[in-house]
Amino acid sequence: MENTVQVKNKNSLLRRMWKAREIYMLLIPGIIWYIIFAYIPMYGLTLAFKTYKANLGIFGSPWVGMVNFTYVFRDPAFFESVWKTLYINAGRILFQFPVPIILALMLNEVRVGRYKKIVQTIFTFPHFLSWIIVASIMINILNMQGMVNGIIRMIGWEPINFLGSTKIFLPMLYITENWKSAGWIMIIYMAAIAGIDTEQYESAQLDGASRLQQIWYITLPGIQSTIVVMFILAIGNIMNAGFDQIFNITNAATVKAGEILDMYIYRITFQSAADFSFSSAVSLFRSVVNFIMLLLADRVCKWLGAEGLFPSPRKMR
Amino acid sequence: MKKSLRSAWFAAALVMIMILAACTGGSGGESSTPSEDGGEGEELPHVTFTYASVQGIEGYDYTAGDDLAKYYSEKFNYTLEVTALNWDNWNDRLRIWINSGDMPDVAVYNYIHADAASFVEQGLIKRLPDDWKERWPNVAAVYEKTSIGPKMEEVFGGTYFIPRARFLDNLPGDPLANHPSLYLRKDWAEAVGFPIKSTYTISEVIEFGKLIKEHDPGNVGDRLIPIAENTNHAVELFVARNSTYFDSFYKDEDGTYKWGATHEDTLEGLKLFKEAYDSGVLSPDFYTVTDEQHGDYFLMTGFAGATFFQAPTSALQNNYNTFQTNLGLDPYEHIHMATVLGEDGYYHQRDLINYWGMIIFNPDISDEKFERYMDILEYNATREGYLTTVLGLKGIDWDYDENGNIISLYDQEAEGRPLGGPDGKYPSMGYLLGSVILFDDFAFDDPNSDERLRELSRQLYKERTEISTPETFPKVDWDLFTFDSPSMRRAQFNYATEYANLITMEGDLETNWRNWIESQMSLVQPVLDELNSQLGN
Repeated sequence: MENTVQVKNKNSLLRRMWKAREIYMLLIPGIIWYIIFAYIPMYGLTLAFKTYKANLGIFGSPWVGMVNFTYVFRDPAFFESVWKTLYINAGRILFQFPVPIILALMLNEVRVGRYKKIVQTIFTFPHFLSWIIVASIMINILNMQGMVNGIIRMIGWEPINFLGSTKIFLPMLYITENWKSAGWIMIIYMAAIAGIDTEQYESAQLDGASRLQQIWYITLPGIQSTIVVMFILAIGNIMNAGFDQIFNITNAATVKAGEILDMYIYRITFQSAADFSFSSAVSLFRSVVNFIMLLLADRVCKWLGAEGLFPSPRKMR
Repeated sequence: MKKSLRSAWFAAALVMIMILAACTGGSGGESSTPSEDGGEGEELPHVTFTYASVQGIEGYDYTAGDDLAKYYSEKFNYTLEVTALNWDNWNDRLRIWINSGDMPDVAVYNYIHADAASFVEQGLIKRLPDDWKERWPNVAAVYEKTSIGPKMEEVFGGTYFIPRARFLDNLPGDPLANHPSLYLRKDWAEAVGFPIKSTYTISEVIEFGKLIKEHDPGNVGDRLIPIAENTNHAVELFVARNSTYFDSFYKDEDGTYKWGATHEDTLEGLKLFKEAYDSGVLSPDFYTVTDEQHGDYFLMTGFAGATFFQAPTSALQNNYNTFQTNLGLDPYEHIHMATVLGEDGYYHQRDLINYWGMIIFNPDISDEKFERYMDILEYNATREGYLTTVLGLKGIDWDYDENGNIISLYDQEAEGRPLGGPDGKYPSMGYLLGSVILFDDFAFDDPNSDERLRELSRQLYKERTEISTPETFPKVDWDLFTFDSPSMRRAQFNYATEYANLITMEGDLETNWRNWIESQMSLVQPVLDELNSQLGN
């Protein structure tokens, strides 16, 4: 009986896919990209269990079992970097994740179309700057001889060492990342808001709902599924704490504060005698943790009543 | 339909051909284009070298950008495509390129034995043919003088690296001292009553910084930096000058191997470093200074009272000229150069070894390109070639007088620019034209350099060897230098960053230092165990 249901489901899925084949065709470039740049290179993960010899290549290098993992788990710097990554990313979820949502809600309330477009452009623009440029601007503006400290001196206060303080380092990470990316991520939420039926707002207005009430009772529930998906993806990315940003912003004074797993991998791979097998082992560990976290977050969201990343077939129907 | 299908196939084939042409054209470039002047290059097929080195000028035309570049490229019929690396990315970039099989045809490599052994073992760099010394005897003669070349040949069972000799005939000391020196504002020192001497201990340097900070004799104001450094040079000044083995393992008097980071001298150096930082003698964000820009604060903007900075003999004239041009002050009256000693009054360093940077080749370089490049090196290892690399073109920039002495024909004042360097007559001049003998050797005799500076440089080198003991300035321990194992390869640290981090960290320095050592022992102890079991007494 159960088998019959499964065959039915399968058939109906294929039928639905065939019906919407034009839409599915749009997926092809993305699928090709993933195959070439994500799936095919996965064979490189075998390096984690080998001793890499460039002259023998990935396939020819000798297998060594779990030796690389033994070295990884013996290095206290590895555990420190894992802890630092989790710590920084917990902060990112707390201080960065809500910002695009808030921005989208606020921008949605702007009624003057032209002003709305200008603001959206201003918010989105920093996304297109690379971290190298952003870091250079920051160093120039925030160093002891920079513009900000110049103003601070003019007021008569003591200059602040923005770039070398480990206390300022984390807030600076969150602020700069918000400045750079919040406007870009906001677009996703704006799109979700645009999909909410406007009749709901009209009815709410007739019932005398204030703007805040409309946001709370219509807009937020309307974009809940998008928020949940974004949240699960953020959790699934918990072991990646933004290498580009930290690599460009850290210096000798803040290097320990920013020693995330990616920085650790970079350091052991390119700042000392390169050991690709060792760094592959660390990378594999990171990917496995990310994957587990992704599944966990999905489960928790479902448990809380949301749909999650993989809605059950019953709900799909 | 058929026609359009045929057209599509034709277009696809055309695209494939173009892609293949583009892929093969870049690496080859070996078309036979004889040079136009009918020189020696006429018989040589044209080659294109890709080349990477520190100290290059990004985007400069090293093939025909100036007459010296043209002289070489026409003589040897080549095009030189240079990737300019800087001090901050030199090691990392080359590591990435070499390990990924993307290194240029030729590169200048900052030798680190753990890396080098891994490159050799994996066949990532070219092994020179066994008969190379017979084929290029002048290069071989210089190679012997470097001492490290033959030593590595012995270790690796063949030649993979061609070290570039700092000195050939003018070796200023054995063991060889390094050139970075303290540049100090003489007029400011006199204004605050600080004694002018040829050597200072680190404490005295800090004392000078404090006096400058307190009195600001140059009226610089908020922008004053008593001692301007970047991370590397700050560690060199405060830690390395006090601790011989601050960044290495070493064999102690009792015959056992130890880690230099745990030495009391290192801790003492770190304390001095912290004192300089906490007292404002160093800029509060010195670690944000990239490349070698701290020298600019002293030589160009005049914000700094002192800097511990590069001082090879060959660069002194340029540094003094930069100071004069930018600040309008007579450098001979306003700059004082000195050696920095440890707190025990001795000069601390390990033998520099007579080389700087090694020439390495891509393992897949064609024989034609390799041989041509070796021919260039061979020419530059002759007297005539070497003089061309350091003095410019014979008959135009220099010549011999009736007694056979070298005389300069270059009048810098009349030309209004130096001979070499980015703003010079020949920006291509320098380390980039494939020389195995660096500027340092000839710099002591260079007629384009003021005699006072040459004498000063001699004195600085000489003093360092004299004011030292075999313990504070030891010769190379080749057993240790060539020791290689997986543990040793893992126990590589960026000491400058680690030490700068320790002194900027909150809390008690000594406690932080001990915690840091403890945290690294899982990497260090296996190396110590191996060293003591294999090399210890």
